[in-house]
Amino acid sequence: MARTTSPLGESTKPQRGIKWLKQREQRTGFLYILPAFIIIFLFGLFPIVYSFYMSMFNWRVRRGSFVGLGHYFDIFGDLTGFLMFLAGIGLFVLAYNVWNKAFRSVKAGGFPARLLASVILIAGGFVLTSGWGRMIAAGNSNFLNSLIITLYYALGTVPLEIILGMVLAYILFQNIKGKEIFRMIYFLPYITPTVSTAVVFQIIFSSRETSIANMVVGFFGMDPLKWRFEPNPVSELLGLNLQGFLAGPSLALVTIILFGIWTYVGYNAVIFLAGLGNIPQEVYEAAEIDGANRFHMFRYITMPLLSPVTFYLSLVAFIGTFKAFNHIYVLRVPSAQDSVITASIRIFDSFYKANMYGVATSQAIVLFLVILGLTLVQNKIMGERVFYG
Amino acid sequence: MANLSGSVSTRSVSHKGQAGRIIGRILIYIVLIFGALVAIFPFFWMISTSLMSLGETINRQLVPRVPQFQNFVQAWSTAKFGEYFINSVLVTVGTLAGLLVTSILAGYAFGRIEFKGRDLIFGLFLATMMMPESVTWIPNFLMIRGAIVPLPGGTWLNTYWALTVPFIANAFSIFLLKQFFSQVPKDLWDAARIDGCDHTRFLVQIVLPISKAPIMTVLLFGFTASWNAFTWPLLVTTNDTWRPMMVGLWTFVQEAGPQTHLLMAGAVISLLPILVIYFITQKQFTEGIATTGLKG
Repeated sequence: MARTTSPLGESTKPQRGIKWLKQREQRTGFLYILPAFIIIFLFGLFPIVYSFYMSMFNWRVRRGSFVGLGHYFDIFGDLTGFLMFLAGIGLFVLAYNVWNKAFRSVKAGGFPARLLASVILIAGGFVLTSGWGRMIAAGNSNFLNSLIITLYYALGTVPLEIILGMVLAYILFQNIKGKEIFRMIYFLPYITPTVSTAVVFQIIFSSRETSIANMVVGFFGMDPLKWRFEPNPVSELLGLNLQGFLAGPSLALVTIILFGIWTYVGYNAVIFLAGLGNIPQEVYEAAEIDGANRFHMFRYITMPLLSPVTFYLSLVAFIGTFKAFNHIYVLRVPSAQDSVITASIRIFDSFYKANMYGVATSQAIVLFLVILGLTLVQNKIMGERVFYG
Repeated sequence: MANLSGSVSTRSVSHKGQAGRIIGRILIYIVLIFGALVAIFPFFWMISTSLMSLGETINRQLVPRVPQFQNFVQAWSTAKFGEYFINSVLVTVGTLAGLLVTSILAGYAFGRIEFKGRDLIFGLFLATMMMPESVTWIPNFLMIRGAIVPLPGGTWLNTYWALTVPFIANAFSIFLLKQFFSQVPKDLWDAARIDGCDHTRFLVQIVLPISKAPIMTVLLFGFTASWNAFTWPLLVTTNDTWRPMMVGLWTFVQEAGPQTHLLMAGAVISLLPILVIYFITQKQFTEGIATTGLKG
C-alpha cells in the first residue's frame, strides 16, 4: 500500500520487506506444525507405507524372504475369481447409475431402464457371488470369512443404532420434563471405557441359566441360550434352515452387536438432538398452517432436513464398525469359534498370536482398501440423496 | 343455534384431542424411561455387585444384603488396581499436556498462518483419521521396540514413553482448534501486529484466552481417549510397571475368574474419573461432541 505513495527511491525496500515477512511467516508456520508433524508422521502416516513394505516379506518377528505380492495372492486365491468379484461390483455401480437416470427421466423410457437396471443388478450379484465362491475355495478363507463377519456386524449395528438414536432424539425434542437428565443418561454408555462395561456384559450374557439375559428370555417362555458362547447362527436357533451368507450372524455375534448398539445409540441421539435444534421452527409452523399432521411433518420436514446428520452419522458408524476391535475383542470367547472373528480381530490374531507380521500387514492393507472403497461408495450414494438446506 | 352446536362440537373434539395427547405423553415417557433403564442398568449392576460378598455374587443376587465396602480396599491394594490407576493418571496427564501444546500450535498455524504446503499437509493429517488402528499396530509396535529407528534407551516396551508419545498429537484435535482459530477476526490480528505483536504473543495473549471452550473440548476428548485406551497399552505393556487401568482390568478378568465382586469393584474404580469429569462438565461435554459431530 505504501509503495504507491512513497518516492521512487524507497520502492524496493518495502518489497524486500514483504518478501522477508513472507519467509518469516513460512518459517513460523513450519515451526508451529513441527511437533505435531513429527508425531503424526511417525505414528500415523509412515506406518501405512511401512505396512505395505512389510506385507511383501515373510516376516515372522524378523524380516525374512521377499515374496512380493504373494501374501495378497494367498488372500484372494484365485485371480479369475477376484476379477469376477470386482466385475460384480462394477455391475452394481452400473445398475445404480442406470436406475438413477431412470428416475431423472420419469416419462421417457423409465420402465425399460428400470428393468435393465434390475437385470444388470441380478447379473452383478451372480458374477459377484460366483467370484467370491472361487476366492473362498482357493484363497485364505479364514480372512475372507472375517470380512463377511465384519459385514454382518456392520449391518446388524448401524441401521438399528441410527434409527433408535433418531427416535430417542425426536421424542426428547418434544418438550420433555427432565430432558437434560435423559440426555445425560443416554450418553453415559458412549463415554465409559469399553473394558469396564464389557466385564458387566460378559456376566449379563453368560450362558448360565441364571444369567440376566437368560432370565429375560425365560420371561418370554424361551429356553436358556448360550449367548456369547453360541457359534450357531440365530436363524438356525429359530428353526430356519438357511445356508451360506443368508444364514446370518451367530448368536455370539448378535450379543456383541447388542453391546455395540447399547454403546452408540446415546451418542447418535445427542447428535440428532443438536441437528433437530438447527431446523428452523418457521418451517413447522408453515406446514401446520397448510394442514400437515405430525407424521407428515416428520416425513417431509424433519427427515430431509436431518439427512446431512443422518449421512454423517451412518458414514462414521459404518466405517467405525469396519475398524471396530475393542467391542468384539473383549466379548469374544474361544467357543464362539470363527463366528465372531471380524477382520480386525483376524489381523490382531495373525499379528499377536501367530507372529506372522507379513501376513497380518497384508490383511491390514486389504481392510484399509475395503474401508477406503466403502467411504467412496457411501459418499457417492448418500451425497446424491442428502438434502443440504 | 348453529353457532352453539359448532362450539360444542369443537370443544368435544378438543377434549378427545387432549385425552389422546395425554396418552401420547405417557407413551413417550414410557419409551424414554425404558431407554434410560437399559442405558443405566449395567452401571447399577456393576456398583451393586461390587458391594456384594463372594457368596452373593455366586448366587446372582441383585442387591447386596450388607454393602461390603472393604471390597474396594481389597481391589485397590491386593488386586493392584491402585497401582494401575496411578499409572493411568500419569499417562493421561502426560498425554494431555503434550496434546495441548502440539494441537494449539498446529491448529493456529493451519488456521492463521499462510505457508507453502499447508493444505497438503493438513489433508495428510486428516487422512490419518480414517485409518484403521489395525494398519498402524504392527509398524508402531516395531517402532516402539526400537526395530525401525534407534530409540534412546534401546526399546520403549514397558516404558512411560510407549504409552504417551504416540498420542501427544492427533489430527482430530488440530482440526477442531483450526476451525475455531480461523474464525478469530482478522482485524484483531492487524491491530495486534501494528502494536508490534508477533504470532507467538498474539496466540498466547489474545487467541488463547478467548478459546477456552474448544480447548476444553480437546481436553475432554483427549482425556476419554487416553483413559479408555486398551489395545495399544495391551501390546506394549508386558509387565506391571506401567500397565494402565484398562489392561489391568482385562488381565484380572483372565486370571482371577470367580472373584466377580473384586472385578466389579475394579470396574467401578476404572469408571470413576470419567464419571466425575462427565458430571462436572456435562454440558460442555455433550455440546462439544454434538457440535463437532454436526460440523463433520
